[in-house]
Amino acid sequence: MSTGKPQSAGASHARNGTILSALFMGLGQFYHRQWVKGVIFMLAEVISIYLIIAQFGANLWGLVTLGDTPSRMEKVGRLYQNVPGDHSIFMMIYGLAALIYIVLFVLFYIGNIRDARAVGQLRDEGKEAPSFRDTTRHLLDKGFPYLLLSLPTIGVLFFTILPIMFMILMAFTNYSAPDHIPPKNLVDWVGFETFKSLFTLKAWSKTFYGVLTWTIIWAVVATVTTYFGGILVALLIQQHGIRFKTMWRTIFILPYAIPQFISLLIMKNILNSQFGPINQYLGMLGLGQVPWLNDPFMAKVTVILVNMWIGIPVSMILVLGVLTAIPKDLYEAAEVDGASGFQKFRNITMPFVLFQTAPILIMQFAGNINNFNVIFLLTGGAPANGDYAFAGSTDLLVTWLYKLTLDNQRYNFASAIGILIFLIIASFSIYNYRRSRSFKEEDMIQ
Amino acid sequence: MKKGKKFSFMSLSLAMTVLLAACGSGGSDASNNTGESGTTPDNEAPPAEVEELTPEEGAMLTIWDGGDQKGFVEQAAAAFEEKYGVKVSYTELGADKAMTQMVTDGPAGVGADIFAGVHDQIGQGVTAGVIMPNDWFEEDIRARNSELAVNALTYEDILYGYPKSVETTAVFYNKDLIDAVPANWDEIKEFAATFNDTKANKFAIMWDVGNGYSSYPFFGGYGAYVFGNDGTDPTDIGLNSEQGVEAAAFLQSLKELMPLKSSDINGDIRKSLFTSGKLAMNISGPWDVGSLKEGVTNLGVGVYPALPNGDPMKPFSGVKSYFVNAYTKYPNAAKLFADFITNAENQMKNFEMTGALPSNTEAAGSDAVKNDEIASAFLAQFENSIPMPSIPAMAQLWSPMEAALSDLWNNGKDPKAVMDNVVEQMKSNIQTGS
Repeated sequence: MSTGKPQSAGASHARNGTILSALFMGLGQFYHRQWVKGVIFMLAEVISIYLIIAQFGANLWGLVTLGDTPSRMEKVGRLYQNVPGDHSIFMMIYGLAALIYIVLFVLFYIGNIRDARAVGQLRDEGKEAPSFRDTTRHLLDKGFPYLLLSLPTIGVLFFTILPIMFMILMAFTNYSAPDHIPPKNLVDWVGFETFKSLFTLKAWSKTFYGVLTWTIIWAVVATVTTYFGGILVALLIQQHGIRFKTMWRTIFILPYAIPQFISLLIMKNILNSQFGPINQYLGMLGLGQVPWLNDPFMAKVTVILVNMWIGIPVSMILVLGVLTAIPKDLYEAAEVDGASGFQKFRNITMPFVLFQTAPILIMQFAGNINNFNVIFLLTGGAPANGDYAFAGSTDLLVTWLYKLTLDNQRYNFASAIGILIFLIIASFSIYNYRRSRSFKEEDMIQ
Repeated sequence: MKKGKKFSFMSLSLAMTVLLAACGSGGSDASNNTGESGTTPDNEAPPAEVEELTPEEGAMLTIWDGGDQKGFVEQAAAAFEEKYGVKVSYTELGADKAMTQMVTDGPAGVGADIFAGVHDQIGQGVTAGVIMPNDWFEEDIRARNSELAVNALTYEDILYGYPKSVETTAVFYNKDLIDAVPANWDEIKEFAATFNDTKANKFAIMWDVGNGYSSYPFFGGYGAYVFGNDGTDPTDIGLNSEQGVEAAAFLQSLKELMPLKSSDINGDIRKSLFTSGKLAMNISGPWDVGSLKEGVTNLGVGVYPALPNGDPMKPFSGVKSYFVNAYTKYPNAAKLFADFITNAENQMKNFEMTGALPSNTEAAGSDAVKNDEIASAFLAQFENSIPMPSIPAMAQLWSPMEAALSDLWNNGKDPKAVMDNVVEQMKSNIQTGS
């Protein structure tokens, strides 16, 4: 109606659109005569309001209370029947899904208001409101990546964010065996009770600090030994004058090529201190028995040794690749300057290798904190430790977590520990990565 | 112009997002509903006046049991299918692990319909609500099984499970190496003095010393107890009593017989030493009868030797049972099968095939069982055993006990301190679980 007049009368378009859209989604768009868009928005609000009233209210209520009637067995005649009640854990998941939907809806509502205002401003400036065809074309043209991304975003929200939120929330409940396993029993929110127990109850805090210390020692030592072991082996193989390079490479990669499920279980038997072949041979040589997996300290040394056997090939391959990429003229120049072999290694090889592999080193460190296989298959956490709750002397946080969930159903404690593991790995990784030269000098090698 | 378009396309993509989300959560609502009806069996149970229990239309059953029971279960499943037309499929999951698995799988609707377990897990299973009480066949089961077995399966006055066999540990021996199980530990020590050769891996006697179940006979024999005198009081843990400490000290003194680390001993190693004639006495249960018979021609079984104070040793005993999943889709068919596979005829079959000791009085009293030297030795030991407590707290015994045995045996720690620690650990674990 009032086109072509960039006056104060037109300024009301933006305001009117904003207010109308805020009242009910799509009204502002109708006001701007964007009929199709208005219908879509209105439909979205109608559906959402219906869902929120009909379904999500109950879901949110479930998230807050986690149910009030447990299921039970009831005898009818001669037969028992299962009378269903509230399942706290399902209620938590549906509640979270509802919550995510509502957050999305609120964001969308805000988007709707901003859209109405922006179009209103356009009209105030005397321009046409974009037609639906314009918008669609623009969407398919400039917004195409966003359009494609919207689908995975939903997937990520419901399949990644939701389970993670669910797992985090579990730490604040009393979800654990034997008395709080739904649906026979209800789960309740307990706040920071679990964390409090973890840090203050004697058995739990002893286990937690003990296992945490060993986990960090293990992660550092395991990473360093395999990394430098790999560099050493790679350098040895690449030396001038070493013959049968392929054969050496093959031999060293073999431990990595065998599935750990097999090799580690065999290792476990080989290292049996009475009946294992290694100690039998040592006995024949007149040497005493080594308590490979029996003594808490020796067991820790043993898992690190076995881990070197498995882990060195990976670093070796990595370093072999890096070594071939170092320009030969650097070495030639160094030779001209009269550098010794060690100097060349220190000033050319190591910086190159470190620079190229630093990010992987950090990943290996994070991976070693959660190195489940080696511990679980080789020692299973043994030797047993009388001071620990549900853990043995060589258990890492992650194997302890396994025992807590699968063997003992202490989900709340496991979840609390999971959160702590995440915090540790995330902070270590971020700190290390930001300090590494690959991050600081991204353009050192092009 | 540009700004306006940016907003409009953003809001349109948001519109699509929300519409899709609506579809998405619509889907989850649907799964909500099906989820709930899935976990709740449709109770088409017959009214009380119906005289016969019939399997549901199109029923398909899954059963979890250990690997050694595979053959037995499969033949029973075939016979059941012939009789009722209901197919039963077997999945390997041992009686020691099935209950824990069921606690997670049962309510989620993916558990087996029938699963094997030992009576000490009943408290745990009932608290988690995964076991269906034995209702239809209750009187029948009570009438035809040994009182001890039925009592072990009764928890808070309700009968759970369908007893299949009883078990306890006793001493297997190789008749070529030793004539009989000595009457007391002094005699075993005398025999060991002539037989043991650690370098050549020759041992007089061996048991899984690090395992709480295998080492309990010492504690039971001296009069220590786990949960009160009748095994129902979680606040009264008697493992660090005077008797418990005495038992721990005696157990520790036996290291001269078996100068090994507890974690170096396991079932496979005992079996291989025993079958190769390097081990004279191997303490184990009826589950090993089949495989040991194959390896040792002159196999004998005797009761435990007496303790230094003259008292007999008292091992734990267990009643193996089939349980019906409380969340099964086919409760009637499952109950029928559980009853079928534990009847006298099938218990006899199981005895013949795997050496499982019948809990059924008729089967246990049959000539075949009575005349079987091995079975009667186990049944004699069963008479002098302690049924494991079945309260939920029982699950907290094993891992502290394992650590304690390792401390006693490998590290030679003070028995009193070790046993005090077990009790403290158990109490702490029980407390944080409730």
